[in-house]
Amino acid sequence: MTDMKHTDMEEINIATDVLVLGGGLTGIKAASEIAGSGYKVVLVEKDAELGSQKGSKSLIGSEEEYKGLQDLEDKIKTDSNVEILTQASLVSAAGVTGDFTARLSKGEEVIEHNVGAIVVATDFATGALNEKYGLSPADNVLTQSRMDELLASEADKEKLSNRTVAFLVGLGQEGNPLVLERVLRSVLAIQEIDGCDAYIYAGDLKVASNGLERMYKESREKGAVYFKLTEKPEIVENGKTISFFDPVARRNIEISPDFIVVEEEMRADHLNEELAEILRIDVGPLGFLQKDNVHFFPVRSNRDGIFVAGSTRGISGLPSAWTDVENIAVEVRDLLGDGKKSVAKNKVVVDEDKCVICLTCYRCCPHGAIYWGDKKAIISPVACQGCGICASECPMDAIQIGGFNDEEITEKVKSGVVSGNGTPRILAFCCQNSAFEAGEMADIFKMQFPDGLRMIKVPCAGKIDLDYILNAFVAGADGVMVMACHPGNCKSDKGNTFAQWRVNDAYRMLEEVGLEKDRLCFAGIASNMGSDFSSMVVDMEKRINELGLSPLK
Amino acid sequence: MSAKNKKVMVVGGGIAGLTAAWELSRFNIDVELIEKTPFLGGYAIQYCCKATDECRQCGACTVEAMLKNVVDEPKIKVHLATEVEKINNSGRFSVDLKKSSCKPDSATEGVIRGYSKNNSPLHVIVDKEKCEENPDAVPEGALELDTMGFSGKLDVDAVILASGFQPFDAEQKGTYGYKKFPNVVTGMDLERIIRENATVVRPSDGKTAQKIAFIQCVGSRDERLGNLWCSQVCCPYALRMAERIKHKNADAEITVFYMDIQNVGKDYAGFYEKCKTDFRFVRNIPVDVFPMENDSLSMRYMNEEDGLCINEEFDLLVLSVGIMPGPDNSNLSDVFDVGLNEDGFFAGIDKLNSTSTLKDGIFLAGTVAGPKDIAASMAHAGQAASEVIKHLGVS
Repeated sequence: MTDMKHTDMEEINIATDVLVLGGGLTGIKAASEIAGSGYKVVLVEKDAELGSQKGSKSLIGSEEEYKGLQDLEDKIKTDSNVEILTQASLVSAAGVTGDFTARLSKGEEVIEHNVGAIVVATDFATGALNEKYGLSPADNVLTQSRMDELLASEADKEKLSNRTVAFLVGLGQEGNPLVLERVLRSVLAIQEIDGCDAYIYAGDLKVASNGLERMYKESREKGAVYFKLTEKPEIVENGKTISFFDPVARRNIEISPDFIVVEEEMRADHLNEELAEILRIDVGPLGFLQKDNVHFFPVRSNRDGIFVAGSTRGISGLPSAWTDVENIAVEVRDLLGDGKKSVAKNKVVVDEDKCVICLTCYRCCPHGAIYWGDKKAIISPVACQGCGICASECPMDAIQIGGFNDEEITEKVKSGVVSGNGTPRILAFCCQNSAFEAGEMADIFKMQFPDGLRMIKVPCAGKIDLDYILNAFVAGADGVMVMACHPGNCKSDKGNTFAQWRVNDAYRMLEEVGLEKDRLCFAGIASNMGSDFSSMVVDMEKRINELGLSPLK
Repeated sequence: MSAKNKKVMVVGGGIAGLTAAWELSRFNIDVELIEKTPFLGGYAIQYCCKATDECRQCGACTVEAMLKNVVDEPKIKVHLATEVEKINNSGRFSVDLKKSSCKPDSATEGVIRGYSKNNSPLHVIVDKEKCEENPDAVPEGALELDTMGFSGKLDVDAVILASGFQPFDAEQKGTYGYKKFPNVVTGMDLERIIRENATVVRPSDGKTAQKIAFIQCVGSRDERLGNLWCSQVCCPYALRMAERIKHKNADAEITVFYMDIQNVGKDYAGFYEKCKTDFRFVRNIPVDVFPMENDSLSMRYMNEEDGLCINEEFDLLVLSVGIMPGPDNSNLSDVFDVGLNEDGFFAGIDKLNSTSTLKDGIFLAGTVAGPKDIAASMAHAGQAASEVIKHLGVS
């Protein structure tokens, strides 16, 4: 924001309604929080009823622990700020943050809504892992869900008295604390049943969640026996016996349980991919809708105005889903405000005379901020994050970024090639989010810093044009560094990837003109690592010293 | 009601406090940020980047960015070297503040430096006499600690407690020889070593450590200490750190002694698989550490395959210390009249809302309410800010 202090601002109107996709508990909470901030909400659920996660209560614990869930659901149904569409789904979502046009289908009907923000709140899905353990469904082989059902019914519980139950967890999958929590809850419930013994065959116990270590201890004190293994035990005759070799006791330990309970996996909703395509947001690891990028945490997607909550972005229990939702409420409030948004006029400018609407910019914009009109590409000043990837990719050089236009940077390249007492002249193009900060840190902390090094700040490594690199050499630089965020840490997701590509192009060109490849380097660095910056630039200076000064000067 | 004239006090300038303060300032709420040490950033600002050839999502860089946001934000007034003395609640909170009695733990030199270039002041004089011996060594702009700190009363509409945690004191596990043997360090020490030197050197001789052992769960999941919680951050930091070390030095031999490996990042299974190919995992927590020649360390542990004892030597031992309740928790609990849970962390109102407390107008953010990593602390602070905004009736 500080960069725009001296630029002309303009005020634009934005839509303030909010679309929430997913009518599970997370979606209900999101609708409630956002409506509570004074915005109108459209809550969309594919099923006939809201609250779909409630079918399997054990996933989230006992009712006493989660007071008020029913009230929340009842209240949302009578909230005049919330329009509920059940048996409905998203068909398309055009536009950008502050101005999305969402088309929703409900039966034969297609309903259109203009919204300023979209919240995705899908639930996780569960699946049996019997196959991983070579077990087929049978009377003695239960899934965790089936066990939960038995334990929820007083009559069924009886069937477990004087029985031996074996649990398998963390050996068929890596698992997570929620998977373990379900097992621990069952094991604790079993301890209350007369004569029922629990044996747990476990890989890594995923206790990294509040309260689980205590539950684990309590269950052991009440008699549950844990076998911590690094590989699956031997299971014979579909669970009739389970055995493994105990290295401490130096013998085989074999048990014949009456029931064997198989852990379940929790995975991303199968709807996620389709939603990602419609919303043009990235699919991250394991099918969840958020890339593993710290700049998106907790609730951002790669597109401004589209937020991801709870199990949409990763396996999540209700407490963390609630945390997400409240963070979204804050983000939405900040984004939509009173429906007026102030943006810098020169944030990004497309030259109508140069633009041929080739749509290169539309395709490369990681923020989905670009669409097109009759005469030129249009970049939404609200959605644009100012990374400049489009400006550098545009084959017509039709796009300029406020504060970082090509002329200014060319000037900085020229004036940056300075003689430092005969030491190599090195230009470092530095992403302002990482390398530039690290460079300043190295300087301020008086770490080693070559005399002839000059940093040129860019909004994102994606703004580093091939021309900038080549111009630097033409201007007489002995070495050029392109310093970006590490892969996976770019605020614009792939600005560093574009920079790497351009550096690779530049390598080929340097080779053609007979300039050593070592005069150019690409490096990833973090904002808080002045020491890394210092060692990188010092290394670079050493390499240049070995090569000698540039023959172009 | 507008945010005008609404004021919130945030107690603690670590990542949770910084995030909470900044989130509130986005809504025109005035924030008084109280930090007992002379620097903002808490522990999180001391962590190093753990990227290999790609980002490992440790989040250390986001702390730097948030600290910068806060110092650039005029709505946030920072009071360094200041602590809360008492509060008076009559509608608004009237909070008495005093100069902090907290002494920096590494005051071997006359001047100490903040961990971030954005710390202001960057240098603080903690020992005037030492500085007078060599006045040229005192950096420009250094402030005397004695002149810092705010004494007086502030009236605020709500308070967010974000006073954080303390790393487990590894000296409590005497058999590991922490502070006795120079090459036994904590995860916290290693963060600082890498952040300062960009590489892992042995404290005893400054040489690159080749054979490195990590011991997990130091202070966490420890029945004897009564610490019945998983600190949730130690597996992630140890494995990420080990990957960083291995990336910079492919010949490094790393062993991780553990009970149960916890998930790291979103694609945890893939990451764990990579770790298994890069270093050795031993599911056993060694108890005794013996000093050897050249300040190496010998440890005894049980071999998983045959159950026999093995003695093995290492250049460097890293103790993965856990997250313990903050040193001021019981005092703050008295001052603010908010209860602690059975583990000594602050208790939220319920499982779904761990940021609100039974005391109206007092909220929690970050590790003050239990173990969290950087991302979770920031998210928790966002949730606290949301609850505060609702409490203040800001629209």
